[in-house]
Amino acid sequence: MKSEKRLCVLSLLCTLCTAIVAQRADSVFNLNDVVVTATRTPKLLKDVPIQTRLITLKDIERTDATDVQDLLQQEMPGVEFSYAMNQQRHMNFCGFGGQSILFLIDGERLAGETLDDVDFTRLNMANVQRIEIVKGAASALYGSNAGGGVVNIITKDGGKPWALNLNARLARHNEQRYGGNWTVNSERVANTLNFNYNGTDNYSVKNAPNPQALVYGMVYGDKTYHVKDKVTFRPMDGMKIVGRAGYFYRTLSRTADNPERYRDFSAGLRGLWQMGSNDHLDIAYAFDQYDKSDFQEIARLDIRDYSNVQNSVRAVYNHGFSGVGTLTVGADYLHDYLFNKNLAGKNCQQDAFDAFAQMDWNVSTRWELVGALRYDYFSDHRNSHLTPKLTARYKILDNLTLRFGYGMGFRAPTLKERYYNFDMAGIWTVQGNPQLQSEVSHNVNIAAEWTRRKFNLTVSTYYNNMTNKIATGIPYYSPEGNGKLFLPYINLKNYSVCGAEMTMQVRFDNGFSGKLSYAITSEHLPQDKDGTTISNQYIPARTHSLIARFDWDKQFTKNYGLSIGLNGRFLSAVNNEEYVNLQDISQGSKSVCYPAYTLWKLSTVQRFGKAVRLTLALDNLFNYVPTYYYYNAPVTDGISFQAGVSVDIDNLF
Amino acid sequence: MSFKKIHFLTGCVVVTLLLTACEGLFSGLYDNDKLTEQEQEMAAAAAGRLYVDASDWEKWYYLDIQELRDSVNALKEKDSTAVYTYRWKEYDIPMERTEASDTPTGIYTYWYDVFGAGISVNERRDFYPTIEQPMPERWSIAVHRNNVRTNGASVYETGYTSIADLPGGKDAFTDCTFIEDQWSEKDVWVVQGQMLSGLIGNQGIKINPVLSQWLLVSIPPMPPQFTLNNHVFILRLNDGTYAALQLENYLNSAGKKCCLTINYKYPL
Repeated sequence: MKSEKRLCVLSLLCTLCTAIVAQRADSVFNLNDVVVTATRTPKLLKDVPIQTRLITLKDIERTDATDVQDLLQQEMPGVEFSYAMNQQRHMNFCGFGGQSILFLIDGERLAGETLDDVDFTRLNMANVQRIEIVKGAASALYGSNAGGGVVNIITKDGGKPWALNLNARLARHNEQRYGGNWTVNSERVANTLNFNYNGTDNYSVKNAPNPQALVYGMVYGDKTYHVKDKVTFRPMDGMKIVGRAGYFYRTLSRTADNPERYRDFSAGLRGLWQMGSNDHLDIAYAFDQYDKSDFQEIARLDIRDYSNVQNSVRAVYNHGFSGVGTLTVGADYLHDYLFNKNLAGKNCQQDAFDAFAQMDWNVSTRWELVGALRYDYFSDHRNSHLTPKLTARYKILDNLTLRFGYGMGFRAPTLKERYYNFDMAGIWTVQGNPQLQSEVSHNVNIAAEWTRRKFNLTVSTYYNNMTNKIATGIPYYSPEGNGKLFLPYINLKNYSVCGAEMTMQVRFDNGFSGKLSYAITSEHLPQDKDGTTISNQYIPARTHSLIARFDWDKQFTKNYGLSIGLNGRFLSAVNNEEYVNLQDISQGSKSVCYPAYTLWKLSTVQRFGKAVRLTLALDNLFNYVPTYYYYNAPVTDGISFQAGVSVDIDNLF
Repeated sequence: MSFKKIHFLTGCVVVTLLLTACEGLFSGLYDNDKLTEQEQEMAAAAAGRLYVDASDWEKWYYLDIQELRDSVNALKEKDSTAVYTYRWKEYDIPMERTEASDTPTGIYTYWYDVFGAGISVNERRDFYPTIEQPMPERWSIAVHRNNVRTNGASVYETGYTSIADLPGGKDAFTDCTFIEDQWSEKDVWVVQGQMLSGLIGNQGIKINPVLSQWLLVSIPPMPPQFTLNNHVFILRLNDGTYAALQLENYLNSAGKKCCLTINYKYPL
């Protein structure tokens, strides 16, 4: 009897210890953090049925990233930012271009694009609480442009009664970054005001003779300004009203007396109402206007040549069935207005409406199933779509989770792709195509996550098949025989991309932590409807990429702490089939090899008391200088020293 | 009024404002409709200025400065407040191949290292003859984008940045070194169809290397960078008279490049 009792106590202790260890491991790897993007309902990271990558505030601080591009390159394997024409930024996210990855700020879309990508400099990391990245088709919940995934940037809410942070960073090429964040918070009202400036000079880079593809010889720096304000009003328990307004301004001087200007005005009003324990309503209105203009210094004229204005209204309602699951229903209305001096009629507009429903069913303690269906309607060409999704989570063990699913993605042709008529310096005319069909993709993915004590391992793989991918096609001469060359937008034949990713993380009690992420991506060459292989519009994804990060952190005394971090990325070479002569494709194509490279950054963060943080870093530690500055070469001309300081004024007192 | 009501009303105003902003806000920030092309031309002419849209790759635009002087004087005699708008005479650049002749006139295709070291690295790839460049009977200078030719004149670049600051009369410049037009086969870009391959067709013709410095086009970077040189240039015409010319702007109100606003004074 005694031994049975002992056994019982022992087994109880063992269970308790295992639970504590599991709990601790969960918190070490942020698995108990609440995320919202995967299902549009709050869920613990460990319980989401769709693989979600969470970049926490600590990760953002550790990377000292200025904007989302800077951050993703340091945190995510398989993500590469390169130049497109005119040094506009293009993203390749594991084989998906910027047009297939939906960027959201607090769940809201962004207006404006340049060569299919949003303006990444708009997405600065000041005042960001966390970033949730859902890979795989998410159009059943988020509609167009979410065929490859969703990146949702969640901004900070007020916390302490008041807080004031001021920060600055200096680096090579006269890079200057200054920021301020002021928060006040009372029982009912909170306000966060954020200001940020970042600027870098233009600088030239040298190329070796005889490059195999287009290169650039000058890196255009820019100056960006952000001002954002967010007011949260809690009129009663369970209800929250959030108002926000933001202004973004960026200027870039390719020609000294004719600088380019980019502006964004955003505002929104959102009401969130927790109606009892099972019901939640989220209603939001969002306004976003993205403008481009050229300033003529001599005549003091600011000439706008592009404006995209989006007004949207959204309602999402969640009802929880105690212990069974959650039903989510919602609808959006979006009015999209585009002015572009290169559009056939200079401006055009359309309305978009959608309705969606999702059932998140907790089948058992180990099984969870999520099914979603969405209907989208676009007034331009009366385009409509029905998009389904089905995903499942299976908890094989308490610390081993399997996730798999199928999702459809789609992307409606943009107004630009349909109505563009841009004479590109007489070289050719980029020609819109009103008959374009929507891209439709089918995505299957499977992921496994295993956590034990100080070790976390995730492995995932996906396959994506896309029909009617929208891209520029083969240039052709006008049938009128006037020698004019056209570059039309077309729908391509089936196109596929597949890949896998593995991430290992360790975090020890002695302050050491490490992370290794590897991604393999395979993009198939696109073909037009006649089966002719065409040159990729953008340089394809690199097959192999690796991200490594090692950190050591120690609090030596109450008033002094030190953190040392070494992080690097390796990107393999990539071959791309390109026309020998873009304006005469009869000359055939050639394979261009874009070389591999690796970049490393060593940084130290010294903490003085609770208020002051001093960051010193050596970026491009091994002084890598590209032989050729191809469009996907890293934008660096050697090692760069960075020094930054951040002061929490409220913690000084 | 209670605090809640103020919040509510403010919210309503903001929402109404934004909902009606389907085509955007703050259009007053921009100057798109500030000046029409014609108004710009008039404004330029009003103050002893000339305006010409010389952006066409395949045209030369001709100015007869004596005709300009005579016309302005004649108009001023009638109405001292009147504005004279000079009509530049435009002539197509011959592009059609002809039989080979003794003259070097024609289209010279050069390859430029536009995506590498820049246009200073180049080599000749092709040539075909054309007829001579047509021109009016009387003219002083001709412009084509950033290129300038003179009709037997020569040019000196001063360090002045305002015509009003020039020392009085032509005598101040008689001892200066004036440069005549010189043969060029890789400066007057006329065929841009193969530019992505670095191939550009140039008209073989004499241009004035000094006056053509008033608007510099440099590669790298890509796209090309335009740099305005606001110095005053002295033009010594073939009849011995002198004129002062200054490029004030090379953009029109819509931002189109090679739309030239030129300050002038004739005679000195």
